[in-house]
Amino acid sequence: MNIKRSIVLRVRIAFLVVFLIAGAIFYKVVHLQFVEGEKWAAKAESLNFQYRQVSATRGNIYAADGSLLATSLPFYRVVLDPVVAKENIFHSGIDSLSYLLSSYYKDRSAASYKKLISDARTRGKRYVILNRKQIGYQDMQKMSKWPVFRNGRMGGGVIFEKVEKRYRPFNSLASRTVGFVNEDRYGAGIEYSFNDYLEGRNGQALFQRIAGGSWKPVFDAEDVKPDDGYDVLTTLDVNIQDVAESALLKQLINKDAEFGTVIVMEVETGHIKALANLQKNKSGRGYGENYNFAIGDQGLTEPGSTFKLLSMLALLEEGQVSLNDVVDTGNGVFQFYDRKMTDAKTGGYGKITVKEVFEKSSNIGISKLVSQSFGHSPSKFVSYIEKVGLNKPMDFQLKGEGAPYFKNPGDRDWYGTTLPWMSIGYESKLTPIHTLMLYNAVANNGKMVKPMIVQAVAKGNHVKKSYQTEVIRKKIASEKSIKLLQELLEGVVKNGTAKNVHNEQYRIAGKTGTAQKLEDGRYTKKYYTSFVGYFPADNPKYSAIVVIDSPKGFNAYGGDISAPVFKDIADKIHAQDLKLNKRTPTDIYMAQKDVDFPYIQAGKFDELQLICNKLGLSNHSDGISDGYVKSRALDKSIQWQANQVESPVVPDVSGMPLRDALYVLENKGLRVIYQGKGRVKNQSIVPGSPIQQNHVINLILG
Amino acid sequence: MIVSLKAWIDRNLKGDPMIWGIVIMLSIISILVVYSATGSLAYKYTGGNTEKYLLDHSMMVFAGLFVMWAAHKIPYKWFGLIGRLLLMASIPLLVITFIFGSTVNEANRWLTIPFINKAFQPSDIAKLALIATLASLLAKRQKNIDELKKSFLPMILVIGFICMLIGLANMSTALLLLFTCLLLMFIGRVPMKYIFMFILFGGLFISASVLLGQRGSTFYGRIDRFISGSEVPFQAEQSFIAISTGGITGKGPGKSEQRNTLPHPYSDFIYAIIIEEYGLVGGATVLFLYLALLYRGMRIVASSTKPFGGLLSAGLSFALVLQAMVNMGVAVGLGPITGLPLPLLSMGGTSLIFTGFSLGIILSVSRGDHADEIENIGEGNKPRRAFQAA
Repeated sequence: MNIKRSIVLRVRIAFLVVFLIAGAIFYKVVHLQFVEGEKWAAKAESLNFQYRQVSATRGNIYAADGSLLATSLPFYRVVLDPVVAKENIFHSGIDSLSYLLSSYYKDRSAASYKKLISDARTRGKRYVILNRKQIGYQDMQKMSKWPVFRNGRMGGGVIFEKVEKRYRPFNSLASRTVGFVNEDRYGAGIEYSFNDYLEGRNGQALFQRIAGGSWKPVFDAEDVKPDDGYDVLTTLDVNIQDVAESALLKQLINKDAEFGTVIVMEVETGHIKALANLQKNKSGRGYGENYNFAIGDQGLTEPGSTFKLLSMLALLEEGQVSLNDVVDTGNGVFQFYDRKMTDAKTGGYGKITVKEVFEKSSNIGISKLVSQSFGHSPSKFVSYIEKVGLNKPMDFQLKGEGAPYFKNPGDRDWYGTTLPWMSIGYESKLTPIHTLMLYNAVANNGKMVKPMIVQAVAKGNHVKKSYQTEVIRKKIASEKSIKLLQELLEGVVKNGTAKNVHNEQYRIAGKTGTAQKLEDGRYTKKYYTSFVGYFPADNPKYSAIVVIDSPKGFNAYGGDISAPVFKDIADKIHAQDLKLNKRTPTDIYMAQKDVDFPYIQAGKFDELQLICNKLGLSNHSDGISDGYVKSRALDKSIQWQANQVESPVVPDVSGMPLRDALYVLENKGLRVIYQGKGRVKNQSIVPGSPIQQNHVINLILG
Repeated sequence: MIVSLKAWIDRNLKGDPMIWGIVIMLSIISILVVYSATGSLAYKYTGGNTEKYLLDHSMMVFAGLFVMWAAHKIPYKWFGLIGRLLLMASIPLLVITFIFGSTVNEANRWLTIPFINKAFQPSDIAKLALIATLASLLAKRQKNIDELKKSFLPMILVIGFICMLIGLANMSTALLLLFTCLLLMFIGRVPMKYIFMFILFGGLFISASVLLGQRGSTFYGRIDRFISGSEVPFQAEQSFIAISTGGITGKGPGKSEQRNTLPHPYSDFIYAIIIEEYGLVGGATVLFLYLALLYRGMRIVASSTKPFGGLLSAGLSFALVLQAMVNMGVAVGLGPITGLPLPLLSMGGTSLIFTGFSLGIILSVSRGDHADEIENIGEGNKPRRAFQAA
């Protein structure tokens, strides 16, 4: 068969060709191994490649309102591989590039930059650090438009090496709570506790070591793209945090105390709105956020009188005590076995009711009552601590929570005196956040919620994990007992040890605590003062605890030291929170003579009217119904005057917020440049001048 | 046990036993080398779970073998029709991929199949289909193969069109396919003067699609750099280091050092890793296996009763082995970097399925019992008989 023979012959020819190719491949392998072998082995030695980490961008930490508490800002180091650029690109761009570099860095002349780059190019140097200064993102963007640079890494040889820096827009605000992570991935606060989410996953890229120990990426893109970290949304309120920190700091300085802690929490949700910790700096001057005493191990102490709330809870739940029973607290000194217990008032309180025992914080009264009810079965008392869930760590969102410590009957260190002393907050240890959790439960009508500081972990719009309020105990005590406890806590402020924070505007409920500090096994004359409570007492919105450690001076009681800080914070929150503040502020503003009219100066009529009506400010419009207005204070009310921004002349924007001013002016075709913050104070073109398109108008805000 | 295994093989694995043997040996080598070469990949992407790539790749190897087995059950006369249908289907697929496909290295080559979420390259289908179609066209025109209008023009139009479509996104594949078709036409007795015309024509449309396509600059850049020889590209340099440090017997399985720096050590440069780990001996063995595969494919041409079977087998064998030669040639520095995987050895996901399919077709032709004219049994069946007797 002729056709078949021909085909078979042709296939054999083709096979021969492939066979020759295979032979060539084999020859080349042999050649590479035996002829060029040493050359490539040497090359392998000299080339030093390594997969190196490409850092992922760390996630942000936000306050509840979206304010940034911590973010990572990219900075760049500008490096050039001068060999990459093609001849024409290099020659046409080098002069202007050198000039731009020189005028940007201002450290060497344009000629010097040109020499640096050109020399490196001639010598075949592949990695020239143009300047060690790190530049910001905006500048990097600008630079990447420069000649040569604009051809990119592959065309122009420019390398912007990213370095990330952690930046806190509010500086030291809540700095310990926000926390940190060091290079060993150890740290504190949210940065540390949520590091797994925040850090993201680093990418990898192949780098080559070059002279001078630097590493140069081999390819343009990473082999493994870094996966940026998640953002953490906290429950913190920047305003409340600010208020809490400054109130605490003021008192710490005032009393020259060792450290202080404030926690402000939303009653219903357990959201922590502020968490401040200030400690005297080692240098002895000023205070800084060095340790989270509110939560951490070092914050564990004998809570003192604030723990009497739990004793009262146990007594009331046992049902053997009513608030009007009379207790004989004697002359202020009472002997339990070999230990003397004393009351704050020299000479004692004598015979007082149970309610007064709590309000005056009588140690003898409480411990006598507890001994009567639980002396025969102390374990029953301890069971109440378990019942409210205070005996174990709550597993707080931040790492390093101090574990509560309580003795148990039958323990080797359980003595006859343990129960009476335990009932007044000694011989056991709690952190401030545990104490606050108990008080918050009373404020929340018996429902104990777990304090939380992080609401959600998210990236962009994608919520990775959201944290809901956790209920630890649905009811820590009967409805009746809770009501009585609330009454007692209000009584402390109305009649008792915290009378000084009583005020007419809203009611505070709470309890003072003053614990003697145990140092080296002996009680000293140093005190751990606290106030924990909630407000407004009739419908609790926030609970808070204030702790001030080792205040100096005469009155070292919780009522005198910590309670005023609590009131300071509560006052400010109350004033800021419109929902809490039912009274209209009209009378306050109007009571002042010579009104420096608050901020509302100019803007859109409907918006301003809405604000004024909400605030109860009397305002009149004289027939204006929309558009822009300016305000004029007339007697005790505001007169709106139309602001003719529609007319074809430069409008008067003074007094307007920037947003309105920008809208009005840019609609007229003007270009706006502004400085400062706040409302428009000055405009560079006089109102009423004719408009020239694209003219620049300068605004000064203030 | 052994007897029953042999009986099972006799019953189920028909066709040239040598081809079965070669394919299974290459598959085993593939799993070993890919497992080693993906070490750094696994470390980077799966947090050290190296078994993931081993399992994924082994699954694909077995899937490829299964497809090969299934295809060898189909009488080969159907592949002319199947090829033509697949070719028509591949045209819209290529266009869709070019426009919408996912991008790897700036070229759209991959299309993801919905539901099973596996990406595949439509060019793999087109390659197979074009060769089958061309074999069928050639076979039908053997009597009047010299006629320009009736024989040559229809073929050149189909080849030109498909290669151009593939060339839009993947010039190396298109060129190799074109060359394979050229070879197949030579084998199919197309006169040499037409083939030279073909080369001229091909040169024109390559230029056109390079200018129009996505990878034009890369393509010319590679050629330019290879010819000028001024600077050895990074990949090649790393590959040479791997080959020259491998020595005669290699560093041992899993002991490659270059896999960490050599890009795509599990596909484009797998041959360099084979030599690094198994030495000159390993490299020569692989070369030999491919040549043996081609030789067996060529034997089928001689034994087949109809031109279609022979041409089909020859076309597919040459397509596969030529690609292997190009890949190995690149690894050792005989040609510019192309990015073509090594068939049967590289970790290539769905490519292995299509390789399996073409081997199945070759086996189907080799069975002989599928031919419609039983009486004309050629010498090619001898090895099979010997095998059965053994």
